[in-house]
Amino acid sequence: MSMTFEDSGAVLEARKQYNAKLAQQADKRRAWWFPIAVMALLMVLPALQLVGNYNYLLHMVLFTASYVAMASSWNILGGFTGYISLGHTVFFAIGGYLAGVLLARYGISSLISAPLVGLVAAGFGYLIGLITLRVRGPSFIISSLALLMIVRILFDNWHFIGGANGMALPVTDLGVLWAKVPYYYAMIAIAALTVICAYKIKHSKFGLGLRAISKDEVKAESAGINTRLYKVLAFAFSAFFIAMAGAVWGEYLTYLRPNIFLIILVAANMMLMCILGGKGTIAGPVIGAILLVAFNEFFVAMMGASELNILGTGAIMAAVLLFFPLGVVGTLAKAGKLPRILNWD
Amino acid sequence: MLEVRNLCKYFGGIKAVDGCSFTVEQGSITALIGPNGAGKTTAFNCISRVLEPTKGQVWLEGERIDKLRPHQITKRGLSRTFQISRNLADMTVVENMILQSKTDGWRDLFKPSVSPDEVDKAMEILDFLGITRIAYEDGHNLSYGQKKLMDFGALLMSDPKIILLDEPAGGVNPSLLEEIIGHIQALNERGLTVLIVEHNMDLIMRLSHKVVVMAQGQVICDGPPEIVREDEAVLEAYLGGVLDKEAA
Repeated sequence: MSMTFEDSGAVLEARKQYNAKLAQQADKRRAWWFPIAVMALLMVLPALQLVGNYNYLLHMVLFTASYVAMASSWNILGGFTGYISLGHTVFFAIGGYLAGVLLARYGISSLISAPLVGLVAAGFGYLIGLITLRVRGPSFIISSLALLMIVRILFDNWHFIGGANGMALPVTDLGVLWAKVPYYYAMIAIAALTVICAYKIKHSKFGLGLRAISKDEVKAESAGINTRLYKVLAFAFSAFFIAMAGAVWGEYLTYLRPNIFLIILVAANMMLMCILGGKGTIAGPVIGAILLVAFNEFFVAMMGASELNILGTGAIMAAVLLFFPLGVVGTLAKAGKLPRILNWD
Repeated sequence: MLEVRNLCKYFGGIKAVDGCSFTVEQGSITALIGPNGAGKTTAFNCISRVLEPTKGQVWLEGERIDKLRPHQITKRGLSRTFQISRNLADMTVVENMILQSKTDGWRDLFKPSVSPDEVDKAMEILDFLGITRIAYEDGHNLSYGQKKLMDFGALLMSDPKIILLDEPAGGVNPSLLEEIIGHIQALNERGLTVLIVEHNMDLIMRLSHKVVVMAQGQVICDGPPEIVREDEAVLEAYLGGVLDKEAA
């Protein structure tokens, strides 16, 4: 059936103008210079090493960037699609270990192998998604936890990769001032790529479908969306970026051990960052990662590395969520008070 | 056009639909009526494959569709609404509608979510329904009637051949009901086939060319509305034999 209706020319014309105005307004609200400026600043930051030792600063930026990549990546499945996974560290571990084995046995640096490693993890993600995405809600969360435990037991007992003792990786020949720099750039590149891809996904047909799935899967399916394919693809995408971050992180640490990669804390952090910043938004995971790392670091400095600092971070988290129930970015956006520089959606 | 053969859906021991068979002719408006619990909505859900039928076959234009997944059925030109409007909050009306526009496999996946062509098409449909003013409204800000209309409009985005409407008049006021009747008629005149589940007898009698009456999971009568209205079995099913008892 073709949908052409008479007598609607004038209305359509007026509507078109109105739409154009709306689009223009939306464009005006963007501030592209801000992320570009931040990136430029981060690019020149390592030059500080010329005038002193800023390794701590570089480490913190690298660490935050790794969490930006992971949280943004988790957001594709957890935020857009509405499937909360607590097992995503599995892909972090797959990335770290695969890149580690390639480095230790074949001398291929993770800086080169990361995209390949990401693809392998995406393949795993696709297969695992085919199985676990058949259920949703609490059942899915528990299945993701089960996945984490299964992989943990496997890695703890797999002698080829060092079992529970882990595996040492060759150390870079760069001096102490410059050793972090290649990984610093790699991690920032991965974080930027993840955020850009998350933006692209959100604004594609695929992203629209994912958002529909998160609201009402039955409706989405009967609207003509292949929900199973969409969900599994979202799972694969989020596995891809997390594995890339894992690949670089493993080589940066020069040591792989299951209790670094396969702990629920890392998965919980990804989720908390998304919730803190705003699930389903683009800027949310980035802000969440920065805030959570900053809180953590602040409380470790203030209270020492005891259990007490975790309490401090938790209290702040609870307080923030009391006032920003949809996360910082989500709540501000809903109230129309989001600063222009953070409107990345 | 649409043919349902011996459709059955059992929930444990409950036979919600039990050997239901009927056909919907090309270009017609067919109504599926029956008392509460007759299995109308379950039959609907089995046709659109939201539920998996226990037994039976559904054919659309010579192709068997009861083994397909819901999105494949939608792609073959059969779209449906839900009894309780299932619109997607946190998405604008235009997004809700464009969601239903056809996407073709992998190539379309990474196209921009909302293209100007699709917006124009959605606007035309909203204009046809007379609700362009809510185009950029958020899904959860809509009133019940607006949701019904939006659902109805969204169906048209995928250029369906046949639409299944589950109680389009349920809970809407009389003036909106008139509007909805008008829209259904207008679309039918353009060649769209309509299958409709409804309780509102006024609407059924005015709109439909054919009425299929269900009771206890089975089709007890079908034919033109004038004939069905006089049918003994239908009166029995609707009134539960009250007339008989009163007469006795």
